[in-house]
Amino acid sequence: MKKLVSLVLVVLVLAVCFSSLSIDAAAPKYKVFLITMDQMDQHWAGVDKGCKKAAAELGNVDYKWTAPDVKDDAKQIEMINNAVANGANAILLAANGPDAVISALKEAVAKKVKIVYVDSPANFPGAATFATNNEAAGNTAGKEMLKNFAANGTKSGKIGIISVNAATASTVAREKGFRAAFAGKGFTLLETQYCDGDAARAKDIATNYITQGCVGIFGANEGSTVGTGNAIKESGKPIIGIGFDKSDAVLSLVKGGFLKASMVQNPDLMGYEGLKKVVGILEGKVKADGKVVDTGVSVVTK
Amino acid sequence: MENNFLKRLFHIRGMGQVITVGLGLIVMCVVFGIINPLFFSGTNVENLLRQIAPILLIGISQSYVLITGNIDLSIGSVVGMSCMVSATLMTKGVDPWVAAGITVVICLLAGVLNGFLVSGCKLPAFIATLGTYSIARGVAQIVNNNYNTGLIGDGPVANAFRDFFYYGKTFGIFNGIIITIILWLIFNFLLSRTRTGRHIYATGSNAEAARLSGVNITNTVIKAYVVSAFCSGIVGLITCATTGMGAMDAGNGYELYAVAAAVIGGVSTLGGQGILFGTVVGACIWGTLANGLQFAGAPVAIRNIVIGIIVVVSVLMDVIVRSRKTTDKTKTKTTVKAPLQKTSL
Repeated sequence: MKKLVSLVLVVLVLAVCFSSLSIDAAAPKYKVFLITMDQMDQHWAGVDKGCKKAAAELGNVDYKWTAPDVKDDAKQIEMINNAVANGANAILLAANGPDAVISALKEAVAKKVKIVYVDSPANFPGAATFATNNEAAGNTAGKEMLKNFAANGTKSGKIGIISVNAATASTVAREKGFRAAFAGKGFTLLETQYCDGDAARAKDIATNYITQGCVGIFGANEGSTVGTGNAIKESGKPIIGIGFDKSDAVLSLVKGGFLKASMVQNPDLMGYEGLKKVVGILEGKVKADGKVVDTGVSVVTK
Repeated sequence: MENNFLKRLFHIRGMGQVITVGLGLIVMCVVFGIINPLFFSGTNVENLLRQIAPILLIGISQSYVLITGNIDLSIGSVVGMSCMVSATLMTKGVDPWVAAGITVVICLLAGVLNGFLVSGCKLPAFIATLGTYSIARGVAQIVNNNYNTGLIGDGPVANAFRDFFYYGKTFGIFNGIIITIILWLIFNFLLSRTRTGRHIYATGSNAEAARLSGVNITNTVIKAYVVSAFCSGIVGLITCATTGMGAMDAGNGYELYAVAAAVIGGVSTLGGQGILFGTVVGACIWGTLANGLQFAGAPVAIRNIVIGIIVVVSVLMDVIVRSRKTTDKTKTKTTVKAPLQKTSL
């Protein structure tokens, strides 16, 4: 009996969803949700900014940003389900993990919701992906360091790498690209050290690298970069520091010359292009080709 | 004279493990020095000591609480809260010293809350401090609207603050090290030479017996948690000075480093036992491992395995030594001389 009641309830809820969908489809406005990994990071605020800009330009979008309070697969799945239930026409998604959200996405697509990935795709075909190619970005960072070595005449030496942990896909890819840039260049790349994103620990690690006589240090995220810059600043040595991100602290270290360059992602571009594309698809003007677009990095220097 | 001093040192209860682990530390240093001679360079020794300082401070935190028979899981979050609160105030234009003062007061409140929940409300320490762990991290996140702060400033006052806690030197020694030594001396004195200290041991040894002998358990436990929160708060200020900004992730996982530093040095997780000399050695081992393994170029997985083994072995040693002591005592039928001796097995 209980089962029957719940079944009827589910059918009713689904019916409401479908009817609201059809009402929305008739209205000129498209309902688009941006779902990020959490709401803590300035990075996501950047994506949101880009989306808002695109929404204002398009004028026919009812746009909302939602995200779990912490990075959590289960919570993100709930968010996706809620968005679908809320009558979404499209979801811009930064997938927390590549596999966890797949079944939720299948259900969404079955209800004719378009999925476009921003920042981090899942292992499920989306209408398009707008993300930083982290390996290419790491490679750019490596080339930037080589450029600085060429400028100051350094031809060999040890290079230290500071990253977050061994499990974060984006920073692992950056590290891989960075290492690739040095293949056959005569430099020794030391074992990567992990700081868990803690800038104070990154500072200790960088100081240890400097004591070991490193000529260059690469920080793969904000915390690592701030630690690197502070350590180079304190040592007063002409060590080449290259980092990632563009927080206040990073920018001031670049300005002071303690970091030579920082790789800055373009989250607003991800949001802007992502929303434009998905609305184009909804209007039938653009094809959902599943293309992956590298939104690139900007190199910030003094 | 010196002989006398050594004798007295050896007679401090718990010194046995400290000396054994200390020998291990020396062996470890020698091995690291052989692998990479730069390990013993002057610069590295200075840096190593500076890297040990915050671990020793949180080690003192955890030792105080462990000795009362409780645990403090909120240490890392209080470090993060202290870092974020102080940095946020400074970026909002508050004078760094005033900001530091306000921050310390907030941290002390967290300590009082911990102590009150544990001893006043009789919550299990594990749960109560798990709550504070979450609350303090939440405060760290909300205080600047879920963002890491910008720079705390490049002006003379901000730089004076950064020098005072981290970058500056007094008599050729980094200030962070000096602050840590001073705090250690104060808290070691408090624990080993005062009535409060004896109450802390008594509470951890046998809370009921202590209560019947007139020890105010509630106050004693609150005091221990306040000391813990104070040291954690200072580490937060050091972190803020080191990085020049507030990071919401600061101090992540420090509560477990603190447990490691304390138990490696012979502080019992069952309460009533341990001395701060041990915590020094424990913190040194932890810091030396992190530093030395980087110099040896060991991958992070090796480091985690080594650290895990050392923690388990040092606690195992403690358990074996103590179980032997208890069996010896039952054999010879001598009464336990130290009234606070905890026979856990």
